Amino acid sequence: MTTAISVSGLVKTFGSVRALDGLDLEVGTGEVHGFLGPNGAGKSTTIRVLLGLLRADAGRVRLLDGDPWHDAVALHRRLAYVPGDVTLWPAITGGEAIDLLGRLQGGFDPTRRAELLERYDLDPRKKARTYSKGNRQKVALVAALASDAELYVLDEPTSGLDPLMEAAFRDDVRRLRHEGRTVLLSSHILAEAEALCDRVSIIRHGRTVQSGSLSELRHLTRTAMAVETVRPVTGLADLPGVHDLRADGSRARFDADTDALDGVVRHLTGFGIRSLTSSPPTLEELFLRHYGEDLPEAAPDHAPEAVRS
Amino acid sequence: MSTGEGTRTGSGTLLAFALRRDRVRLPVWVAGGAVLMAVQSTGNQAVFGTPAELAAFRATIGSNAAAIALGGPPVGLDTIGGVVAFRSSFVFTLVAALMAMTTVVRHTRADEEAGRTELVRATRVGRHAPLLAAVALSALGCVALALGLGVAAAVTGLPAGGAFLFGASIGALGLVFTGVAAVAAQVTGSARAALGLTGTVFGIAAVLRAVGDIEGNGWSWASPIGWSQAAHPWSDDRWTPLLLSLAAAVVLPVVARALLDHRDLGAGLLQPRPGRPTATRALGSPLGLAWRLQRGALAGWAVGLVVLGLVYGWFAGSVEDLLAGNAAIRQFLPSSADLVDSYLATTLSITALLAGAYAVAAALRARGEEASGRAEPVLATATGRVRWLASHLAVALAGSAALLVVGGAAMGLAAAAAVGDGALAGRLVGGALAYVPAVWVLAGAAAALFGLLPRAAAALAWAAVAYVVVVTLFAESFDWPRWVSDASPLAWTPSVPAEAATAGSALGLLAVAAVLLAAGSAGFRRRDLLTE
Repeated sequence: MTTAISVSGLVKTFGSVRALDGLDLEVGTGEVHGFLGPNGAGKSTTIRVLLGLLRADAGRVRLLDGDPWHDAVALHRRLAYVPGDVTLWPAITGGEAIDLLGRLQGGFDPTRRAELLERYDLDPRKKARTYSKGNRQKVALVAALASDAELYVLDEPTSGLDPLMEAAFRDDVRRLRHEGRTVLLSSHILAEAEALCDRVSIIRHGRTVQSGSLSELRHLTRTAMAVETVRPVTGLADLPGVHDLRADGSRARFDADTDALDGVVRHLTGFGIRSLTSSPPTLEELFLRHYGEDLPEAAPDHAPEAVRS
Repeated sequence: MSTGEGTRTGSGTLLAFALRRDRVRLPVWVAGGAVLMAVQSTGNQAVFGTPAELAAFRATIGSNAAAIALGGPPVGLDTIGGVVAFRSSFVFTLVAALMAMTTVVRHTRADEEAGRTELVRATRVGRHAPLLAAVALSALGCVALALGLGVAAAVTGLPAGGAFLFGASIGALGLVFTGVAAVAAQVTGSARAALGLTGTVFGIAAVLRAVGDIEGNGWSWASPIGWSQAAHPWSDDRWTPLLLSLAAAVVLPVVARALLDHRDLGAGLLQPRPGRPTATRALGSPLGLAWRLQRGALAGWAVGLVVLGLVYGWFAGSVEDLLAGNAAIRQFLPSSADLVDSYLATTLSITALLAGAYAVAAALRARGEEASGRAEPVLATATGRVRWLASHLAVALAGSAALLVVGGAAMGLAAAAAVGDGALAGRLVGGALAYVPAVWVLAGAAAALFGLLPRAAAALAWAAVAYVVVVTLFAESFDWPRWVSDASPLAWTPSVPAEAATAGSALGLLAVAAVLLAAGSAGFRRRDLLTE
């Protein structure tokens, strides 16, 4: 696998604030890479360094085998970008902005532009000052997706889109992957990352805390299990990898580490299983495990909201 | 402030918040005005020490069309206070109008454009509260400016009664333009357009009073500036004309409130029409984008400078009626035997100041694009930073040169027709072109600040413009040290047509401009992109 993006030990400070604190990021060519973290973790800052808009204070940054600061223009010919917070020129129409950005980028497909306008239901004749946040985002998305790039850098591209548009966006990302293009998708919406990404990197406080394929990461997560047995289960609490056990007579609920599943199920069969449900591990849980310690007594129902807010 | 749940609910809270947001900005305006007042007061007292000197001034400048066009009505010139009012009241009305319009628009249309008003209005805040708070804030600023000017004039030795009347007359003008800006913020859909509309109203008011005072007819009474200047501080000491200002200051915000009720949040009174679904070929390069973004403003400035040039040029005919040959006249006009040439040289320098202000505004557009985040998607394409910056600077440089040409041509044609000397047209275009290098130095300074001190660039660049304006208008007549005026690029430009153009200083200025532009470009290449 060749590498599209390679970042190691990236540091970026703004005054006394250390926005990036030794961040690492590896994105292989042709993969859809999820770049996850809560607000303020440093996702947009990292992307701006990758685009040569900010200068790294320390660390090694390579993008498409070039230096994003010194080779910015040459590299930008080969990538397309959707900013997280799209601001457009108030008196210029969406259609004009799409054409402008497409022409400035270099390669631009008018047929695809027309298709995308229809798919995303965007009126190109409206002046940008009258667009909603979602429509401004669509302008940037159409401009990026209509261009012929090797690398697509998408900074929370769906944060203003409705579910229908999100579905269209997912189709587009799958098409890009099918065509062998590389996508860096920053997001704090885990379902999106789970649906689209081959690999993800999770960052926090400007540092990478976890990186790998979804199955690798799932391996690190816990499976929620609910079991009803003929005889009340005993000894579960003593098994390694069992957490948050709540037993009530013949019923028991607990979380199990993925690598402890085999032993747990083996143990349960000794008590006569009547029913067994297990909820597959989600990135959400992994996420909460990494960020949860900031949350006071993270209640499962409220915690995801807290992460998203 | 209303305590009930009406359309004004929350005005007091918003006003307190606005005062906090402007806790540096407004005091700087007031302090700047007071310092300028102290300079005017002490400077004029130093120059006109004896009744004979005042009499000489009265006989020359007091009847000079240029002085009247740039100052006020020639009344009360037998006192130093009257001379101060005559020479400086127009500049102070400009200060007050700028302070008022920027304050009001910043807290109304600009907030609305940025979406902040929506956030505020969704809370327990009445429909009229943001407008009311902005008008109240600006009014407080005007009162503070009035007091500041009065105190500055009084403590530097001018009679206190006239001092506070003068301050009040300037504050009253600020109140009127608080109302004008409040109306403009309802009519237009963007902060930029609201400022442009208010500035246009000020320009019309300035022309009306200039015509009225030079021709001695009633046109001055059609102008808010004329009302303020009709107070005649330090001579007749009339407070009653300011009642006109106060009436306008009350009526205009009421009109603004009525307009606010007839429009949607975020929109102006005019509904936007659909635009082009695709971009023209011209909008495909950084230069095409910079031109597209700036062409409207450039057209506005061009119209303004053409009107100003036509008016100033036409008054060249009145200058011929003047008494000639008095030494005192050289304190205001460049040395020359030909009074018409002197007059035109002075008005041409006003054109150059305005072109310089345009050049700075156009160069700072790059910072506006960067700060708003609009530069980011462009710089993420295959557009280099230097090329992007150069596009905006190209518009600033070519635009300011074009403004000088059209402004000079309008003035030249009108003067040629008024005086009956066809050669004047060409000479004034040449004279205007002589200012190009100096104006480009101002653009270069803005570019250098953009590259090296981006966050402070706008404030510092406008401070430089203010310095150049003050020095150009007053340095010579107040005998300030040479270095004070030498720091202004305009001082290095010969006052054509009164003086002969020289290549040396022009080349020197061009070299300075080139160095500044290069510094700005180099600085921008090395620094982070900074959004706000």
